[in-house]
Amino acid sequence: MKIAKTLGRAVAMATLSMSFATGSIAGEVNIGFTGPLSGGAALYGENTLSGLRMAADEINAEGGIDLNGEKTTINMVSLDDRYSPAQAATNAKRLKQESNVPAVFTPHSGGTFALQDFNEKDDFLVMSYTSVPAVTEKGNTLTLRIPPTFDGYVRMFTEYAQEHHGKKLGLAGATHEYAKIWASMIEKEWKNEGGTIVSDNPMDYNKSADFFTGVSRVIAADPDVMFVGGASDPTGLVVQQARQMGFDGSFILMDQAKLDEVALAAGGVEMLEGAIGVVPLSVYDTEAAKGFIERYQARYDKMPGSEAAYNYLALHALVEAMDATDSTDPKVIRAAIGDALKNMDSSKNPYGVTAVTENGGFMTEATLATVKDGEIVRITME
Amino acid sequence: MSLFLQQIMNGLTLGSIYGLVALGLTLVYGILHIPNFAHGALYMVGAFMSYFFMVDLGVHYWVAMAGSAVVVAVLAILCERLVFHPLRHSPPIHDKIAAIGILLFLEAVVQMFWGADFRRMSSPFTGIMNFDGLIIPEQRLLIVVSAFALVVALQLFLRKTMTGATIIAMAQNRDGAFLVGIDSNRVAMMTFAISGALAAVAATLYAPINLVYPAMGHLVIMKAFVIIILGGMGSVPGAIAGGMIIGFAEAFGGFYISTAYKDIIAFGLLVLILSWRPQGLFAKGAH
Repeated sequence: MKIAKTLGRAVAMATLSMSFATGSIAGEVNIGFTGPLSGGAALYGENTLSGLRMAADEINAEGGIDLNGEKTTINMVSLDDRYSPAQAATNAKRLKQESNVPAVFTPHSGGTFALQDFNEKDDFLVMSYTSVPAVTEKGNTLTLRIPPTFDGYVRMFTEYAQEHHGKKLGLAGATHEYAKIWASMIEKEWKNEGGTIVSDNPMDYNKSADFFTGVSRVIAADPDVMFVGGASDPTGLVVQQARQMGFDGSFILMDQAKLDEVALAAGGVEMLEGAIGVVPLSVYDTEAAKGFIERYQARYDKMPGSEAAYNYLALHALVEAMDATDSTDPKVIRAAIGDALKNMDSSKNPYGVTAVTENGGFMTEATLATVKDGEIVRITME
Repeated sequence: MSLFLQQIMNGLTLGSIYGLVALGLTLVYGILHIPNFAHGALYMVGAFMSYFFMVDLGVHYWVAMAGSAVVVAVLAILCERLVFHPLRHSPPIHDKIAAIGILLFLEAVVQMFWGADFRRMSSPFTGIMNFDGLIIPEQRLLIVVSAFALVVALQLFLRKTMTGATIIAMAQNRDGAFLVGIDSNRVAMMTFAISGALAAVAATLYAPINLVYPAMGHLVIMKAFVIIILGGMGSVPGAIAGGMIIGFAEAFGGFYISTAYKDIIAFGLLVLILSWRPQGLFAKGAH
């Protein structure tokens, strides 16, 4: 009984001291993160966070930043939202109140929209990792969109696919909100360019245990090109099953899926012959990208995806902006982020982002990648 | 025609997996009246165990399956001994809460050890058979054949052995079983062990054509609950028939109508069947 009491006290003390520890202490800036850290999308959330943590540790290892003459380090505070917008909103409120964060990173569009309802009032920056165009079109003054929007991809992919592979498209995307917007945009663009949609049968990655039926339905309509996408690994399954059923056309991959990761899940790059998608980080041949990949692999022992790299550079840019302005005021940081991207050490910028649009989108070069003779190659479009 | 046969094949594959998972669930419910929400987590642990045996220890597929079945069976017995047995006199809601607790615990443990990554597990059966346009990957055929073999084996065990008879006796009449001197602890542990082993085998069969990740159990457990309600809580033939009904509804509905509606079709069937037979297709108890 006595032991139990002592234990109880110890636990109470530990919790108490922990709750002190989460509050912001002098010389430290908390940066918030809310994303899926458990459940089906946990991997995605963890990858995102891995890039952020790596950037924070690099900054701290160099002694932090100089904020009004005070050495300041960066502390990532992460909360799990299981991909739910409502939970993301609760988390952001908590991050603001408990840790007084100037910025909250979130890697999904639903969470971004939820945060945009109150971020201007509560005064924090939303660092959104989503390529849904509406995120920056709504005119929220404290939002930064980290990756490029996908409407550019829709045009490029359509043009390239129709020129090289044929005019008949089978839609085999996914059923989450993001995939639906993608599918409707590519459907419109594809028809505008004179193509036809022969089948529309999205896969439900959250509820389907098997995609064989859905894939066979799309293939029965005999398309030249199949639109697939969602997280890389289930997309790989769809690709593999399509090939097993004898589909020999090409694929258009929604930007959420990465060619190199899909190839891994599908059982080889040759499965993806002719496929079109965004350029995977592993194919970038710039010094900055190679250096980042090397450092990431040394730390995590796996190949980084774009979510790690983009969030990594975004946090570096954010901190650079704080350093340059001597401020943690979200409005000041937001105004300085463009210059920060331009002035920051290029080794911290694997994608070479150098500017930000007026409504808060990072600007990147428009490129696509395709698989030719079993190799992923990068193609620059006009 | 080959497209039609293709859907039959798809329905059989899905139905087999659903049926195997539902079987374990229905056995536990029929005998102990515990809705084991953690069953999906046992399925997931089964897949990870096979993955561990195959990839990290390098053993053969069948050995990995057997090893995984043993590990998960022991894990299921532990759940029964440490969690459900002490709760046997508590109100039923405690079992449910405990089951959800086990589910969250197992998922968190697996994620701690293996991370949230999606993993691919390969099996030695990667060939694809093509019968004049009807495409059957070997692994899918293996799933169907193994599922049928397991169901037959389970039936023989329940019908022809003394130990099996004690399980059926418990399901039919608890008090009667006690009166003739059946050890309820032994039956409870055995039932959990069988249910765990079935889940592990189902997961190992299915993993090579799917992904292995900590949340993989959610998909099948929801279907498995629908199936045992459809087939009759606690009924062995009900679990198999229910599994096939849902599997075929998904395959045919998904192909001929739309994959977007296949759940509506499956759940619509559930409503129809329940309004016709509220107790499920097969009467209660492992008859």
